Amino acid sequence: PPETHATARARTRSGPAPVTDVAKLCICDLLVAQCDVNCCCDPDCSAADFSLFTTCSVPIVTGDSRLCTQKAAIYSLDVEANPPERIFKLIDQVNPSVFCIHAANYKQALSFSSPELPTSENFDQLLEQFGSATFSAEPDSWNMNTDAQNPSDANETYRYEYAVPIQTVDAFLRLPSPVVSSWCSDANPAGFLVNQATKCTRSVSVEKCGNIQAVSMLFYINSGILAVNITVQSVVVQSLNGMRTLLNGSDVLRLPMILDELCVNIVLGVSYHITYTDAGEIIEAAASFVLGAINKEALSVQQSFEISFTQVNTKPVPLSGNPGYVVGLPIRAGFRPQGYPFPVEILFAPNTNKYGQLTILQSTSNQDCLAAQGPRTPILFGYNVVAGCKLRITAAMKCQPLTQTLLDLLKGQSFPEYVASFGNSQAQDVLDWVPITHLRTSEQRIYNTFQSSCQIPVSLEIEVKWTKYGSLVNPQARIVNVTATTTTTVLKQLPPGRERTIPITSSVVFTDISSPAEPGYKAWPTINAKLPFDFFFPFV
Amino acid sequence: LSSVPLQILFYVNGIYYIFYFLATLAMIVYKGEVFSYPDDFLAPDLALLFIMAILEVLRLYLGSKGNLTEEEAPLGLSLVITVGSVILSVYFLVWQTYVLKADVIINAVLLFTYGLESVLKVVAIAAFVS
Repeated sequence: PPETHATARARTRSGPAPVTDVAKLCICDLLVAQCDVNCCCDPDCSAADFSLFTTCSVPIVTGDSRLCTQKAAIYSLDVEANPPERIFKLIDQVNPSVFCIHAANYKQALSFSSPELPTSENFDQLLEQFGSATFSAEPDSWNMNTDAQNPSDANETYRYEYAVPIQTVDAFLRLPSPVVSSWCSDANPAGFLVNQATKCTRSVSVEKCGNIQAVSMLFYINSGILAVNITVQSVVVQSLNGMRTLLNGSDVLRLPMILDELCVNIVLGVSYHITYTDAGEIIEAAASFVLGAINKEALSVQQSFEISFTQVNTKPVPLSGNPGYVVGLPIRAGFRPQGYPFPVEILFAPNTNKYGQLTILQSTSNQDCLAAQGPRTPILFGYNVVAGCKLRITAAMKCQPLTQTLLDLLKGQSFPEYVASFGNSQAQDVLDWVPITHLRTSEQRIYNTFQSSCQIPVSLEIEVKWTKYGSLVNPQARIVNVTATTTTTVLKQLPPGRERTIPITSSVVFTDISSPAEPGYKAWPTINAKLPFDFFFPFV
Repeated sequence: LSSVPLQILFYVNGIYYIFYFLATLAMIVYKGEVFSYPDDFLAPDLALLFIMAILEVLRLYLGSKGNLTEEEAPLGLSLVITVGSVILSVYFLVWQTYVLKADVIINAVLLFTYGLESVLKVVAIAAFVS
């Protein structure tokens, strides 16, 4: 219809015309319909307002000063008069320079041009002219990179580089982690070879038990990594009071369900173990779950996630340093198997909690030795530890079983025989392992001639002597000597009915026995200037 | 007899025009640096300046030759070319992209010279014809 055409044409004009009349231009007039202080050009000010001003903040308003003649509005305050009044003069200012612009036939030269207002007609042309990739209409244009990555991927296994997100069927493998607050965000991708461990809070409630996806096992297994299914390695069930039990059969998928007003089988922790080849392909993925239960009052649960990577055909023995020990990492220790007079290959057990690690007894809150027989803490390099407990001896206790109990308490179930001298010592290198020396001392200074009296061990001190090895600027810690000293004391026979409490202590001390470093310098360069062999040929 | 004032005027005009050409060229360069001078406006100005220079050389040569050989034909041709030069000078005075005060001054002087020359040429042609 013709009306819309006319209005459309009218709308293609640019914005409002700029103000160029110097008498009307006032840059200090900021308040609308109100008088600005010390603004002599403000039209909202009355004569009474002018009488209160002290100066004029804008004394002159001129046009373009490059023109030969231009209009100028001059504002000033006449302070002599009573009351002070504003003087406004409109004059023609002359530019004395011979290069002033007398006339300009190029209209846009002397003022800023108003930009074109976009309408429905010129929008596409303006977008093409001024819009770049940021304003392009198709967001697919910046996905070109990922397309280039997956062209021939369909049948081959995908090769990963360090920290590249692990691709799954729909997007990437997610490891929920806290973002700004401690609430879980599902957008944290798991990077290849990046070992991560995160803890975050998820809001749950018993009513929405089956509906929350993020607490169900299915959510974490479902997104299969490209070409590899995630298998369930183990499932540990944690009860409401914190006790954990390992389930035997781990094939059954346990989904959250309501049982006796509790919501059971909600995921409290997932631990992914990814096996990869040295070409960067993922060949196996396993997940271990910790399932728990919540009751009606619970509004949130804390979930913990971790992911670790193992290269195929290798055993995951964590190193304690490379090559020197790193302070805070556990000391690697092990045994030599029986029946080998000459160890060709010494089998050392990896640093699992079960066997072979150098441990120290853990102090408990009630300091009762017999209750401290359970967990032991591993000895970390560089950390001197003292632990102890109190032993209550009654008359009924016999010497030999008591000695054995105390030895077990002090040394632990399987006290190792050898300690690795470097943090990365391999089991095959015999010379890299230091044997533990055992010493026995007695507490009593006077050597008791009565051998038959009972000697019970009361303290074990492990002294680890280490030295700095290697270059001056990057010294590596190397364990040179480990001595375990057991101190015994005489157990006097108690009269029946009486009991005694003796303290038992265990300590680990790390001593630095490195000799002061001697810098070694290269030999001074010598000038090798010798005459050739046959210089005096005819005469020699 | 050849008109001596006309010849003097030709000589002075030649020297003045060299100055005018260099000054106008320099001012166009100055305007291009200081003001916003897009290429669509710069090109016609420069082209007309060079055309004016060629016309001027032709005009002065023909006028001088006609005056000295006392022939009216070259002098008449020179008068016709003067009309073209006057139009170009008026362009540089009024229709140029930027007209500076200096432009006004030198173009006014040039136009005055042209006017004086035209009068003297007409007188000389009248003298040669008769």
